[in-house]
Amino acid sequence: MIINGVEIRESFAEAFPMAGTRLVITADTPRWARTAAATMTGFATSVIGCGCEAAIERELPASETPDGRPGVAVLIFAMSLKDLKKVVPLRVGQCVLTSPTSACYAGVKGGPAIPLGRALRYFADGHQMSKKIGEDRIWRIPVMEGEFVCDEISGSVTSAVGGGNFLILARSRAAALSAAEAAVDAMGTVEGAVLPFPGGVVRSGSKVGSKYAGLIASTNDAYCPTLRGVVPSALPDDVGSVMEIVIDGLGEKEVAESMRVGIAAVCELGAEAGVVAIDAGNYGGNLGPFHFKLRELMANAGGKA
Amino acid sequence: MSGYRLKLTAPLEARLDFSGITPAALAGLGPDEVARKPVFLGNRRVALGDVFEVSAVASAALVVSGDPRLDGVGTALEQGEILVEGPVGALAGARMAGGRLVVRGDAGESLAAGLLGGRIEVSGHAGPRLGCALPGERLGMRGGLVLVSGDAGPGLGERLRGGLVLVSGDAGAGAALDLVAGTIAVAGRIGPDAGRGMRRGSLLLAQAPETPAPGFVDTGSHDFIALLLLARRVPELAALFGGGLSGRAQRLAGNRLAGGEGEILLLQ
Repeated sequence: MIINGVEIRESFAEAFPMAGTRLVITADTPRWARTAAATMTGFATSVIGCGCEAAIERELPASETPDGRPGVAVLIFAMSLKDLKKVVPLRVGQCVLTSPTSACYAGVKGGPAIPLGRALRYFADGHQMSKKIGEDRIWRIPVMEGEFVCDEISGSVTSAVGGGNFLILARSRAAALSAAEAAVDAMGTVEGAVLPFPGGVVRSGSKVGSKYAGLIASTNDAYCPTLRGVVPSALPDDVGSVMEIVIDGLGEKEVAESMRVGIAAVCELGAEAGVVAIDAGNYGGNLGPFHFKLRELMANAGGKA
Repeated sequence: MSGYRLKLTAPLEARLDFSGITPAALAGLGPDEVARKPVFLGNRRVALGDVFEVSAVASAALVVSGDPRLDGVGTALEQGEILVEGPVGALAGARMAGGRLVVRGDAGESLAAGLLGGRIEVSGHAGPRLGCALPGERLGMRGGLVLVSGDAGPGLGERLRGGLVLVSGDAGAGAALDLVAGTIAVAGRIGPDAGRGMRRGSLLLAQAPETPAPGFVDTGSHDFIALLLLARRVPELAALFGGGLSGRAQRLAGNRLAGGEGEILLLQ
């Protein structure tokens, strides 16, 4: 399949089930809502080393937030519900509770409860106050700046999907970066999916395993342009740089839509902008239950074989 | 589902215990069966049909004529709606857990005693000890929402443990006595001695109490995000104070004489 001169390879992204939730972080100004959200989703690129994957989903106008202040929605994912219940209160406690003027609310209703105020209230050392509104409880924690307000719990989904991805094969590093930026910008409009890597882009995709004992992942040498000829390469001769976009979503549908939007944006730039092909990372299909086939995704996007 | 209208044939000459007469209790019964339902009028057991004219109505709600001697309306209601056209006596909505009770008139004493959930609306005044503990119980109302358009009598929210009480008018003496938790908001004036023995919970006031109970410490005026949140999540609360809350309030913490960590918030 070729779209605008870009080859869509016969490949698929292999993704995994995760537990995930959405939090809404508000503050007095958009700047401080962004700061709290960026801090809270920092060092959360890959579960391999960070214990969770998280990123900003979108900014929310004051009219859409629980307390009528500017806000940011973030998504956070972990390999199990148990891990999610551990990392969320840790991150909210260290990064949101500490951030000036912030408040933190549940962004998902229903599903297993992820503790927010339920865990953080003890910081108030007995001076915590709660209010139950309908079925929902909020906590007020006196802090030096005033009060930190948060929901007692957030809901969650255990049917989240992590590790959706595609690779941008381009003639040069500059072309790969421009295409990746275009993809990230377009994918930012998809609700329920985020790109946990720096700026949404991974320049060091990995393969499973290593020659070194104890390393569970190592550089994806088949896609390293400077190793062409040294190892069995997956790269055509005219590819000089590869960048990957990794997607986590609250469901399979969100990840598929995000991938489709991203690939479409890259293809729109086309061969003229130095994009050669779109590929995807998988492990042969035996490890992850979710397979996002590139050509199926793009079948309705105006491509021709 | 169709409901019933129970119309009093004459003003009650003794107190009538209406507890147990709920939409759920009458569901599936024919008009004759409803009329045969036993109730206590004073110390006499009578049939509903002896006191009320029973007729089926299209609405799902149970519609009842009001009377100041009609006690226990909506007791232990779990779902459905009871609409009272006129006043009710004591213990309306006692131990109610869900559903809706609407009183188009005044309510007597101990309205919403031991309330667990649901919604009670009173268009007139409410009597003494709204939301108090039921006889023999330690804690008062634990959940739900009570809206009073008029005034509330003395002892408002005595031993309240949870839920929200909104009073558009004034409140009598001794409000929030021994309050354990929960929220009471009063748009009008509040009588003397509010907050005696208060342990936790919030008393939201538009006007400073002239003579509050001793034991409150002024922590100054602050901007409360929690108030902004409450105003958006509970539109009735925002409406009570004129459509919105600024979030700014003077916080009086107490009652410290009882070791309490509750608060009187004077909205600004």
